[in-house]
Amino acid sequence: MDRSSFSRRVSLEGILKNDCRIHDYKKGDIVVREGDYGSSAFLILSGEALVSLVKLPDAILGRGEKRGKSWLRSIAQLWTNSSYPESRDYRPSTKSTKSTGIRTDGDETQVFLHDIPRVIPVGKSVALGTGEIFGELSALTRTPRSATVVANVETRVLEIRWQGFRELLKSAPQLKAHVESLYRQNSLKAHLREIDLLKHLSSDVLDAVANETQFESYGSFQWNQQFKSTSQQDISNRILAEPLIAEEGCYVDGLVLIRNGFARLSRSHGDGHQTIAYLGKGQVSGFRELCHNWKTGEQRPWMLSLRAVGYVDVLKIPVSVVERLVLPNVPVQHLPDPLPTADSNKANRRTGTRQRSIDRNLMEFLVDKRHVNGTEAMVIDLDRCTRCDDCVRACASTHNNNPRFIRHGEKHDHWMFATACMHCLDPVCMIGCPTGAIGRTEESGLVTINDETCIGCSTCANSCPYQNIRMVEINDRNGLPILSNETQSPIMKATKCDLCADQITGPACQNACPHDALVRIDLTTPDAMQAWTDR
Amino acid sequence: MAGKSQKQFSFFERRIVFAMAALGATVLVALWVWLQNGKLQHGSFTSGYVLLGSLFFLTMLGMRKRLTFIPAIGSASFWMQLHIYVGLASFAIFAIHVGPRIPDGGLEIFLAALYLVVAFSGVYGLYVTRLVPRKLSAINEEVIFERIPSMRNQIALAAREMVLEACANSEVLAKFYVRRLAAYFERPRSLAYAINPTGRTRRQLIGEIEELDRFLAEDQRSVSRKLAVLIRKKDDLDFHQAMQGRLKVWLFVHIGMTYSLLLVAIVHGILAHAFGGGL
Repeated sequence: MDRSSFSRRVSLEGILKNDCRIHDYKKGDIVVREGDYGSSAFLILSGEALVSLVKLPDAILGRGEKRGKSWLRSIAQLWTNSSYPESRDYRPSTKSTKSTGIRTDGDETQVFLHDIPRVIPVGKSVALGTGEIFGELSALTRTPRSATVVANVETRVLEIRWQGFRELLKSAPQLKAHVESLYRQNSLKAHLREIDLLKHLSSDVLDAVANETQFESYGSFQWNQQFKSTSQQDISNRILAEPLIAEEGCYVDGLVLIRNGFARLSRSHGDGHQTIAYLGKGQVSGFRELCHNWKTGEQRPWMLSLRAVGYVDVLKIPVSVVERLVLPNVPVQHLPDPLPTADSNKANRRTGTRQRSIDRNLMEFLVDKRHVNGTEAMVIDLDRCTRCDDCVRACASTHNNNPRFIRHGEKHDHWMFATACMHCLDPVCMIGCPTGAIGRTEESGLVTINDETCIGCSTCANSCPYQNIRMVEINDRNGLPILSNETQSPIMKATKCDLCADQITGPACQNACPHDALVRIDLTTPDAMQAWTDR
Repeated sequence: MAGKSQKQFSFFERRIVFAMAALGATVLVALWVWLQNGKLQHGSFTSGYVLLGSLFFLTMLGMRKRLTFIPAIGSASFWMQLHIYVGLASFAIFAIHVGPRIPDGGLEIFLAALYLVVAFSGVYGLYVTRLVPRKLSAINEEVIFERIPSMRNQIALAAREMVLEACANSEVLAKFYVRRLAAYFERPRSLAYAINPTGRTRRQLIGEIEELDRFLAEDQRSVSRKLAVLIRKKDDLDFHQAMQGRLKVWLFVHIGMTYSLLLVAIVHGILAHAFGGGL
């Protein structure tokens, strides 16, 4: 890495000082866990780390085993639920298990493996040595860690925050080339294959497209903090502050594919911008314009602006590649009609029937409040809700008499978006959990908290931009607070909706609503919401 | 998850399907009773048993609500639909059972009255559960019923503090507060308001406070405007309390009477068998 290639504003020393920290791991310490979301890359300064090639059991990763309740246990809830709030049989999480232990150094908690070969069989791991980087793709692309990494000896590791790593990529071309080649090699073709438009391309053509695809990211990785601080601002200012991916009226320089996150499609309207739609993972923008320009030889600009809502990862296929490799291979019936002839009033307007979508104001609300992140958002139709609280009671009865949501929340028209975990597509709450207690279940993708390994640090609750995670003081079976041995203060645990993951019936709240007023719904696309509002 | 696989039927289609099923079942029962009467059998026992069975079935909605974690018995909304249409059908069966006469025995009159109270409270409940939520959602703020007293206290406290601060320079606002606003802010509304909530008092108070403007200095006018906002807030809160209270009271009456009805219906059945002439 050449120090002189860094700008004075963002110097190498500055990155090391502000975006990096050194960790010393002991043998067996878990550095990253498979399935965790992380915002850092790691560089080994000394020692050795093992990348497990086998998936480790959930219990070892701190997530506990997910067991559904049997019929008998379900019925027994009628009389076994506690009459005290947050009552439980508490076993301190510092107690060692068969395979793992927990060590606390000052403010930091570290989970370690007692016996590495017993957990990661010999030959089922790859050793990383001094000078090697890991965790970079996950940090840059906001995807779950693909493997667990464990310190094999005493290992010193440099943790680089995503902000610093992005600056390093800008000023260190070799590092950038290395990371890009890793991404092209491991993931890019699979991502391109997911795009409907590119499904018709042969493998050779797709390879050629992949080689010329550019990676871009917009917005802040820690958008949740910014969102909290700016949520009271005027909506027009908030839209203008969103990073532009493509600007209405500018030259269309390529096909934009959303790889991660959400983008707002907006049209300028008077002095402001009106939200037309939102795009999520796998959706494309610019195809109509590119197709029109290719067919007619005209140079139509972007019809709408595309802005990053939170953090967005995009793949951009340059216009020359689209015209040379993509458009000639797309079946004619999949190509859109040319845009209408330009005139002062009707330029850039659709001539055909627009696909029905939800009300514009509701769309704007969903994007503005970031509810588009929710895969299981709780929406209540207040025109049907009789405020009977059957949903709250049902939730409490399936969670040992502790409701895991509040029938209150953001309201738009007669829709209420209740304070219940939305099991987000981009779960910012999962970043930074020191014990891996919060994680996605493999089967359903739900975000759940393992009560046994949660140490009550509040990282997840502070990160959740929707205030959907609550910290609670726990009590014993007699309703007395359980105190920490070290500090003698009440032990806290993070709690939230788990969508009744251990119940046979699924979400009790929805099943309990007698008036069809409550639904758990996927808001990452407007389709489900539209179907529900059209009932 | 559940939302994605939701509803194959629209509300309209669902209404049609359930209404047809209820109508069909009622016609079958009527036909059965008519045939039995034609054979000089006691058709009233058949209609009585069907009616008693319906009553027991109708109480199962409450049980379903408590058994949220039992799978494969349908959602609460499905049971609610069954409850509505079986309830409506039971009214027709009640008419078949009683026949074209007014009950004359003491127990029969009491039983019929109980049934009618439960049935009409159910119909009223159907009406209010469809009407009141719309009225409540038209109000900007959503309020949880149990929090209303504490919110009322907060508003009253804010109003009092506002007036205390303002009365250092002039007594006009303070006197108006004592005379007209203190009781409004600190007390819940009357029973008459709970029965028929209107915005009359709010309009009246806001009108009066606007009238005061000409006696107030500029800084006190801003206080009076803030008081007007609190008057509106308190009125919204009272409206929520009245409306949500209505939703709770009808249910209390409906459920309370249902259990009395079941008890008396069983006694009636036993007596009917005891004095039924050998059946």
